[in-house]
Amino acid sequence: MRNDRMRFLKIEKRENPSWKVIVGVSIAAILLAFFIIGFVFVGYGINPVKAYIEILIETVGNVYGLTQIIWQSIPLMLCGVGLLLAFKTSFWNIGAEGQLLMGAVAATWVTLFSGFPGFIMIPMIFAFGFAGGAVWGLLSALLKAKFRVNEVITTLMMNYIALNIVLYLIHGPWKGDEMRGFAYTNSFPESCCLPTIGITYIHWPTLLIGLLSICLIFLILTRTRLGYEVKVIGQSRQAARYAGIPYFRTIFWVMLISGGLAGIAGAGEVAGVHHMLRHPDQVSLGYGYTAIIVAWLARGNPPLVILTSFLFGAIYVAGDVLQLSFGFPFQIVNVFTGLILFFLISSESLMQYRITLRRKDD
Amino acid sequence: MVCVLFVFTAALGLNAADRLKVGFIYVGPIGDMGWTHAHDQARKIVEETFPWVETVYQESVPEAKVEGVIDRMIRRERCDVVFTTSFGFWEGTIDAAKKYPESIFAHCSGFKRLPNVATYMADFYQVYYLNGLMAGALTKTKKVGYVGAFPIPEVKRHIDAFTIGVREVNPKADVHVRWIEAWFDPAKAKEATNSLIDAGCDVFAFTEDSDTVVQVAAQNGFPAFGHYSPMYNSAPDYVVSGQLVRWELFYLDFLSKVYAGYYTSKNLENVDYWGLLKEGAVEVGAKFDMTINPVWKGRLGKTYDLVMQRLEQMKNPQMVFDPFAGPIYSRTGKLVIPSGERADYTHLLTIEYAVKGVFGAWPGEPK
Repeated sequence: MRNDRMRFLKIEKRENPSWKVIVGVSIAAILLAFFIIGFVFVGYGINPVKAYIEILIETVGNVYGLTQIIWQSIPLMLCGVGLLLAFKTSFWNIGAEGQLLMGAVAATWVTLFSGFPGFIMIPMIFAFGFAGGAVWGLLSALLKAKFRVNEVITTLMMNYIALNIVLYLIHGPWKGDEMRGFAYTNSFPESCCLPTIGITYIHWPTLLIGLLSICLIFLILTRTRLGYEVKVIGQSRQAARYAGIPYFRTIFWVMLISGGLAGIAGAGEVAGVHHMLRHPDQVSLGYGYTAIIVAWLARGNPPLVILTSFLFGAIYVAGDVLQLSFGFPFQIVNVFTGLILFFLISSESLMQYRITLRRKDD
Repeated sequence: MVCVLFVFTAALGLNAADRLKVGFIYVGPIGDMGWTHAHDQARKIVEETFPWVETVYQESVPEAKVEGVIDRMIRRERCDVVFTTSFGFWEGTIDAAKKYPESIFAHCSGFKRLPNVATYMADFYQVYYLNGLMAGALTKTKKVGYVGAFPIPEVKRHIDAFTIGVREVNPKADVHVRWIEAWFDPAKAKEATNSLIDAGCDVFAFTEDSDTVVQVAAQNGFPAFGHYSPMYNSAPDYVVSGQLVRWELFYLDFLSKVYAGYYTSKNLENVDYWGLLKEGAVEVGAKFDMTINPVWKGRLGKTYDLVMQRLEQMKNPQMVFDPFAGPIYSRTGKLVIPSGERADYTHLLTIEYAVKGVFGAWPGEPK
């Protein structure tokens, strides 16, 4: 005989989690991560409330913090929305970092070695940046479509190839003669430096391209046939094949755009922030990898990338505040992002299932 | 010395400060055993020595974020002085200095100055020369190994000075170089050391911010020279000597001058501190107060006396000896320092050539 008083909870699968559920659970996961991090603060002898207040003041509470968040969220936004597109088709592009670097390399070539006239420099920087990232991403697409090579491996490994290409260039043929032998290219001439908002680092042309890309990806996914094909392949390659959807052609367009957007992020960094090519770990502060969480957290919805890239930009800046004002080691930022990712993944199951009360006649 | 300064400046009626808040911006983690660790040790000594100093710091700051960190240090933390400890921080430092003309900055290993930006550096090339003399005496295979970080003038200068020392004592010995393209990478340092051991090297020196090379060499029974931090304790039977630095000499001097009002935000344009053996900024030793490990002293034979003699000559305020004194030939056969001349400051700072006796890849080698 069933004992109804013991089994009063029922767990059933949710058919289609509503937006309220998805947003609610995501926010709860992030807040839980912040709560747990509060214990890390306590362990350091710091009042967590004081720490979070200081973080709020120094990130979103003043102009300096906001401008820092925004310039760091530009590459996150571009890489993030590109990855969102790739992930929609279940092409796990872990290579945004390398695609970003190759875009930076292409942009540097345009600036210092192409000899283009001044007035088309900036458009060419973005065009070549896009091309650099796109080509880099397409290689993995080709290998997957024609030879079934796992894209996680190819995209990831190509990050290291890109990194070493940059190292080779800045130490060798592209080392600037004005740099006292240090591994940097020469500084970009004025005509190749992107305009910024006032004295901040916010290179607004790239930001604009980022916002336009979000609109573009949104339109592709909701209004075009390509978007439909992307989503079908993402759900089931079998079904796509039966529907006559060509795999390689779709993946080609997806990786062209995904890699290209990361390439634009790289071009934006070197032309807008650094005005030279420098060590790869300085050009990209792990943007290509953080963009994976940015894309994933947006749950397949391009406009949300604006929010999620802003969130992770804020986490970067929060880490700076913790380091300087409270003496945390620099790894604190990784702890933050790691915990958030952990709770988000754990909360996935909460979204898929619903817990309700069992009725008498069940 | 500092007291005299106070009395002097008080007499002149210069504006002295009550307290100083000082910010340090580091390029790497304070837990490395190299560059950043040494700056942080110096920071702690400054805090212990001067009760009127309070310090804050941020580690592993990316080059593009320096200006933002300086913003926070000056606005929120109310720092009066900021030290930026990496060449790559020059742009952030200069841009921030223009934004905050009342604040004082000093940029380590930089060369651009402003009325409120001084530069400072301590260099090891003389110490590497002394280590080279010892390495030349100790090597039995006539192959000395060097694990290098990045092929930039600073590291090339050190390898060249080291090789000049090796060859002075052992004209047939060679220095084999492996580049790991990182300041801190124990895994690559280990690989490089093993590769040098396989090539037949039996004495080791390096530029890397950990004691990996020392440990790997010791595990194989080979002597090595510590780098940057005292590494004697990592292998007391195998660390012969090494390069040591005292950044606190600069920081104490600079900050006391700021405190006394002698250095202001208007008169730093020509302040460029270049610390060598004679300034006491750098020292040779396996640890402080141990110039040469007694276990190895006997094996050096007559070279011990040579090392001590050269050390005194270079510590002499007139600097009666310098390793980069002509004639010096690059390994491509070019006479890079003519007979009777010494390399000047600019030459030293922009060295790209490899001297005779260096073996291995040398990116950016001039023809």
